[in-house]
Amino acid sequence: MIGAAFGVVLARAQAGDEAAFACLFRDVQPGLLRYLRVITPEAEDVAGDTWLQVVTGLTGFRGQEEAFRAWLFTIARHRAADAGRSRARRSAVPLAVSETAEQPLAPDAADLALDGISARAAVALIATLPRDQAEVVMLRVVAGLDVADVARIVGKSPGAVRVTAHRALRRLAGHLERAGVTQ
Amino acid sequence: MSVPDASHSEMPGIPTPSRPGGEHDEPLLDMIFDGRAIPPDAPQEMHDLERMLAALAGPAEPGELAGEAAARAAFELASPAGISPAASRPAAHQVNRRPASHRAPRRRPARRRAGLATALCAAAAVLVSTAAAYAGVLPEPIQRMAHVTVGAPAPRHHGTSTRSGSGSRPDTRHGHGPAGSPAPRPGRSADAAWSPGHARVAPARHEPPWIRPRSAPTCGPGPRVYHGPPVTAPGWTPSDLQQIWSRCSEDLGKLRR
Repeated sequence: MIGAAFGVVLARAQAGDEAAFACLFRDVQPGLLRYLRVITPEAEDVAGDTWLQVVTGLTGFRGQEEAFRAWLFTIARHRAADAGRSRARRSAVPLAVSETAEQPLAPDAADLALDGISARAAVALIATLPRDQAEVVMLRVVAGLDVADVARIVGKSPGAVRVTAHRALRRLAGHLERAGVTQ
Repeated sequence: MSVPDASHSEMPGIPTPSRPGGEHDEPLLDMIFDGRAIPPDAPQEMHDLERMLAALAGPAEPGELAGEAAARAAFELASPAGISPAASRPAAHQVNRRPASHRAPRRRPARRRAGLATALCAAAAVLVSTAAAYAGVLPEPIQRMAHVTVGAPAPRHHGTSTRSGSGSRPDTRHGHGPAGSPAPRPGRSADAAWSPGHARVAPARHEPPWIRPRSAPTCGPGPRVYHGPPVTAPGWTPSDLQQIWSRCSEDLGKLRR
């Protein structure tokens, strides 16, 4: 998160300052990629499409950092849905093979122990959750959005989002305990 | 569970679940989500969960910023500062385009090709028209006009010789003909008579100005006096000119159709 300087950075980026835009990009891109790796097998492509749309609408954006992130992740979610529909229409590509080939694999205990729970291993572990739980966790933790924003993005009530998030964390805690990482 | 496992004093900072039957770890989970530090005596799996989520929101790892160059290029195209010559265009139309450094060389040759094609078409039309005029196959009014302007043969039905040498060619090089410079020249008020409208109100001159003998030019190798084609100088009146003009217009309209 950029924090208090976000307003200045955004204003400079909206005025055409490329360095300010790079600051926004570097702040958001890692979380964006991690979120997309959980919800789509074409994370890099969808991230590129997302940034194209962001730079298109950047000058018209008004709001604080949380609103900016909510806007950006909403775009990413829509582009991921578009990519999924496009992938489903491609009859020549065997869907099962392509999706399983790109899907992040659940790490085993040894991987987690060796990596010391890196971001990559954490993403892989969250990808083992049910899709709605994984997405809520990523939006809450990676995007840094509050329950209300996540509820708007995923189209659920705040209460449902909160329950889903809690279930996800409990399941993750169980994974970690069974994997022996917690010892 | 209607009673908390521990008293509030034993777990400071952790709100007691108020909802009967509520999960006792919900406050801990909310603290983890909000990025607040959980109590040290919280279950170990919660600490590990906190550590894992912290790693999830951690800084960029190698390869995660690989798309920065492409994003900056897109930003350069879409931002007002990056596209100052076409800043008035909507950014949405520019994001998906190639960078300006790639786009410009593709457009200029296209314009040049279009201009060259237009020039070639115009040149071909002039050549074909001139050839047709010299072949004497144009409609009579147009042929007559070509005769007096570019020296093409006169219309055949007059029964004249089609070529009368240099003497039958109006001398346009000295500004005597309508195909000369259209700019007004001092002392040549008869230029206005080329327009049909002016021809109607022209003074009583029974010959068009470009076939009237003129005095010698003030410069040049010597006097070049044009006396007009001997057969096709019928002493046109302004009404003749108007008639020729209207017939030319009609024939041109037929040709266009």
